[in-house]
Amino acid sequence: MLRTTLAGLRAHKLRLLLTSLAIALGVGFIAGTFVLTDTIEVGFSQKFSAAADKVDVSVLPVRGESTGVARPMSGAVLEKIRAVGGVADAQGLVQGTSALIGKDGKAAGDVPTAGISIPEGSLNRTSITSGAAPKTATQAVLDENTAEARGFKIGDTVAVLDSKNARHEFTVVGLFDAGLDQQLLYSGAVGYTTETAKAMTGAKGFKEIDVLASEGVTQEAVRGSVAAALGTGYQVRTGEQYAADLARSNGADTQLLTLGLLMFGLVAMFVAALVIYNTFNILVAQRTREMALLRCIGATRGQVFGSIVLESAVVGLLSSVLGLLLGYGLGAGALAVLAGAGTSLPSTGSAALTTRTIVLGLLIGLVVTVGAALLPARSATKVAPIAALRSQVEEHTFKAGLFRVIFAALLLVVGVGATVAGVGMVPGEVALLAVAAGGSFVFLAVLVLGPVIVKPLGAFVGWLPAKLSGVPGRLAVDNSRRNPKRSATTTVALTVGVTLMTLIAVLTGTMRVTFTQQLDDQFPVDYMVQTQDRGSGLPRALAEDLRTRPELTSVVASRETSAKIGDKEYQVGAFTAGSDFRPKLDAGSIDVLKPGTAVVSDYDLKQLGVKVGDRIPVRTTEAGTVDLTIVGTFDSGESNLTGVTVPAEEFDRYFGPVDDSWVMINAKDGVSPEQARKAVDAAAQPYPTAKVASSTELRGAFDETLDMMLMIITGLLGLAVLISLLGIANTLSLSVHERTRESALLRALGLTRPQLRRMLVVEALILGLIGALVGVVLGITFGWAAGQTLAADVVFQLPVLQILAFVALSGLAGVLAAVLPARRAARASIVGSLAAG
Amino acid sequence: MTITGEVGAWNARENTAPAVTARGLTKVYGQGDTAVHALRGVDVSFATGAFTAIMGPSGSGKSTLMHCLAGLDTVSAGQVHIGDVELTGLGDKQLTLLRRERIGFIFQAFNLLPTLTAEQNIRLPLEIAGRQADGELFDRVVETVGLRDRLGHKPTELSGGQQQRVAVARALISKPQVIFADEPTGNLDSRSGAEILSFLRTSVRELGQTIVMVTHDPVAASYAGRVVFLRDGLLVSELTEPSPQSVLDMLIKLEA
Ligand SMILES: Nc1ncnc2c1ncn2[C@@H]1O[C@H](COP(=O)(O)OP(=O)(O)OP(=O)(O)O)[C@@H](O)[C@H]1O
Ligand SMILES: [Mg+2]
Repeated sequence: MLRTTLAGLRAHKLRLLLTSLAIALGVGFIAGTFVLTDTIEVGFSQKFSAAADKVDVSVLPVRGESTGVARPMSGAVLEKIRAVGGVADAQGLVQGTSALIGKDGKAAGDVPTAGISIPEGSLNRTSITSGAAPKTATQAVLDENTAEARGFKIGDTVAVLDSKNARHEFTVVGLFDAGLDQQLLYSGAVGYTTETAKAMTGAKGFKEIDVLASEGVTQEAVRGSVAAALGTGYQVRTGEQYAADLARSNGADTQLLTLGLLMFGLVAMFVAALVIYNTFNILVAQRTREMALLRCIGATRGQVFGSIVLESAVVGLLSSVLGLLLGYGLGAGALAVLAGAGTSLPSTGSAALTTRTIVLGLLIGLVVTVGAALLPARSATKVAPIAALRSQVEEHTFKAGLFRVIFAALLLVVGVGATVAGVGMVPGEVALLAVAAGGSFVFLAVLVLGPVIVKPLGAFVGWLPAKLSGVPGRLAVDNSRRNPKRSATTTVALTVGVTLMTLIAVLTGTMRVTFTQQLDDQFPVDYMVQTQDRGSGLPRALAEDLRTRPELTSVVASRETSAKIGDKEYQVGAFTAGSDFRPKLDAGSIDVLKPGTAVVSDYDLKQLGVKVGDRIPVRTTEAGTVDLTIVGTFDSGESNLTGVTVPAEEFDRYFGPVDDSWVMINAKDGVSPEQARKAVDAAAQPYPTAKVASSTELRGAFDETLDMMLMIITGLLGLAVLISLLGIANTLSLSVHERTRESALLRALGLTRPQLRRMLVVEALILGLIGALVGVVLGITFGWAAGQTLAADVVFQLPVLQILAFVALSGLAGVLAAVLPARRAARASIVGSLAAG
Repeated sequence: MTITGEVGAWNARENTAPAVTARGLTKVYGQGDTAVHALRGVDVSFATGAFTAIMGPSGSGKSTLMHCLAGLDTVSAGQVHIGDVELTGLGDKQLTLLRRERIGFIFQAFNLLPTLTAEQNIRLPLEIAGRQADGELFDRVVETVGLRDRLGHKPTELSGGQQQRVAVARALISKPQVIFADEPTGNLDSRSGAEILSFLRTSVRELGQTIVMVTHDPVAASYAGRVVFLRDGLLVSELTEPSPQSVLDMLIKLEA
């Protein structure tokens, strides 16, 4: 029996190739994910241990239990550590913000650059890549990325704002590598001597103290004595432990990446399983006579079953090995691309292929293949020996069994129920999960019901092609419907990918529109000026200047401060009136805001335990405690009013001339956006940290993020679609093989080669369109449902063009999948084919 | 192009121009040592409106001859004419159009498309050619083969004999210049076979159809007006107005 199986495999090499490719792609993606993330992890831990090699003991403050914030350590702590026996040197690290001024005179970047200390001596962990470390109070170093992005080089003079926004100048004496610190990489960093760093950032102490052990003293011994000297409240670790902990926390990030990518790998494997299941089903159907003959000459059912399972195991194993190779290539390729794109990934030279990757890859490939072949193998055992004697293979007419319909109906009811429940729930994770579960059930129902719906869908989708391409078209429609089970499984594989792609497209489209609308509600203006760090204030002169500009109208400034109401601190603020800034209240209008009153956000009302009409005592700095009557409330999520808002003139009386926290500006009608922007920029120019944002820019940034996300996810889902296309090609070439004589007959009756090709291409087009259509309907439905669970007022958006593109591409892809089988069919000699079978 | 002057001497007694002519027809499969000479220079011609049977021992080249005559296969040497069109040298596209316009087929088995009903199968050649079926002819053909109440059935719902009747009707409906039939009754019992053969003979007599039929069966051959005998790829003999007995005698003589 083994020999028969292997001989069969050798004979059908070609037709199993496509199947193998489907599995290999799935396994390849999963293996590639592991190779990629393993390599990154290895790189991280290498780099961390390299940095930690320089440090024998590291001391961190413990996060406060109630505040969750680690208080910086004072110079006294550093002195205490330096005094411990066995400590050769100890250095404190300072980190805060110090905004670098770009060449345009404005603070560089979206967030202020970080200011860090570069310790002297062997405890310096920062690697200076060119030039030297800063030694005096007027020297500084820049991280390489910032230097490049802002156009600074060694020898330049740079201006940096300290924590009080005072300007200081430094000479750039060197560049350094920001390493793996994501925060520094994001903000960019300026490095100073420790003393200067303290002065610039206003840091009250050290965020970390690094210790070097004396000659001959072990890390562990020094750790012990330092810990003993400091007592509680400090986390004292050896350099090794520290590196391991850092690597672990970074490993958690890579694990997230692994999980995310594996999700797509699983989708791909699921699709591959469908393709394999279909292929083996068709192979078994085609070999009915062969099986029957084997049974006639004495093979048992078990032997027939075993031969199919064995065949699938061989295919699974071979394709998994191929997949592993592919995965290694994919992983290495992805690393190369990431390195080329200038991302800050540690490079270790070679991609890591671990034993776990190999074992998992082989196991997944094998289990999925054999698992998918089990049902076809079982149906092979049902072939009666008598079938060997029948001349013509019977057509597989399909009747929807009662069991199938009931089962599908049950799945559908559960799925729709869960979805409706999810949509009805308060938006949140639970609702999303309910919709996800509902979607899965409905998809299963479609899977079960596939053979039933594929016939009418085939007629529907095929109507136009049949009309357009005459006899070949009509024959193609018939062919696509003649074996509903086969067509259904083939198309469902494509449906998986299209459903997910549509879902993502609908979700991102919905998010885009929803965001735009929220932006219009909260940011109903053309420009907004804020400080770079959003914490410090803008001098009121800025708003005054803006008001004098003829290009602008309606300049609204908002200011706020924290004040005690009862025993807790609340944000109390005010805004200057502007003609077209009318904040929305839950009831009434903002005109109710008169001296002696306040409007309070719903959130703060709850915190205070009061309601509209009550009075609250606000402790002010200038006017003692004032009793304010609450005259209105608003939704804190939807408004950008300060939690407790009082009239502007009263605010000044209570708290004095507090700086503005933001200024909103509208351009005058008829003024071009460029002119208006120029006016705003000119007014903001004297204030380096004042950042001007326009609503279009904000929208653009958000759009870019969404587009990026959509592109990546669609690209990753593309793999599943690719595999399903292999499935279409596979089904088609097996069908072509099965219909050799039919094709010959048609050719004898006068069907030309191009017509025969067209017949198969249209069949593939129909299969592709059915898959796409079902996918689009499911994707839109569940995209809508999932959108409803994201937020309360979601604006549903149907990205019509994208969805049409998906449908068109699916059809096109189906056509592409048909090219090879169609060529083979058209090339076959008529006489030879008539004799076949 | 006129072909009258080129007609072989042995069918000069027919007055009309032949529907199909072959001259020096040679077919070699494979090359070198493994080459099989299936036809070694066959000269034959089939008269318009005649029913001719081709007989010969297994492997003598009957099917090969038929495939070459019908433009289904290429010839190694020699010429074939269907009416006034020479097949040799035509490309696949022209051959296909020629088959579509001028030739009908009945095979031994697997004659019908399983996805189409009997009626759709019958009309298929016309549809492929983009022609309208002549309603009267359709009715007459369907009536002749007795399929009126079976038109809506799929091939799997028909008996072997009924399937062959559909194939006959399909071959007749497009009024081809010639119908080629390769053992059309090979899979049928004698009664169904006899039915098919009489349909074929009727169509020759009443519709003036030209039919060339390959067969093993002397009884089937006796329905034809003329029988030609092949042996080892050569035309060796022929009979006109054959009876089963005379055909059998000839076969025995050839086997010896
Ligand atoms: N495709 C082919 N390749 C090689 N040889 C072939 C091929 N087709 C036919 N032959 C050979 O050509 C010869 C004639 O074959 P053909 O099929 O024409 O015989 P036949 O008279 O129809 O026989 P039968 O009565 O068995 O149908 C045989 O020797 C056969 O083996
Ligand atoms: Mg033959």
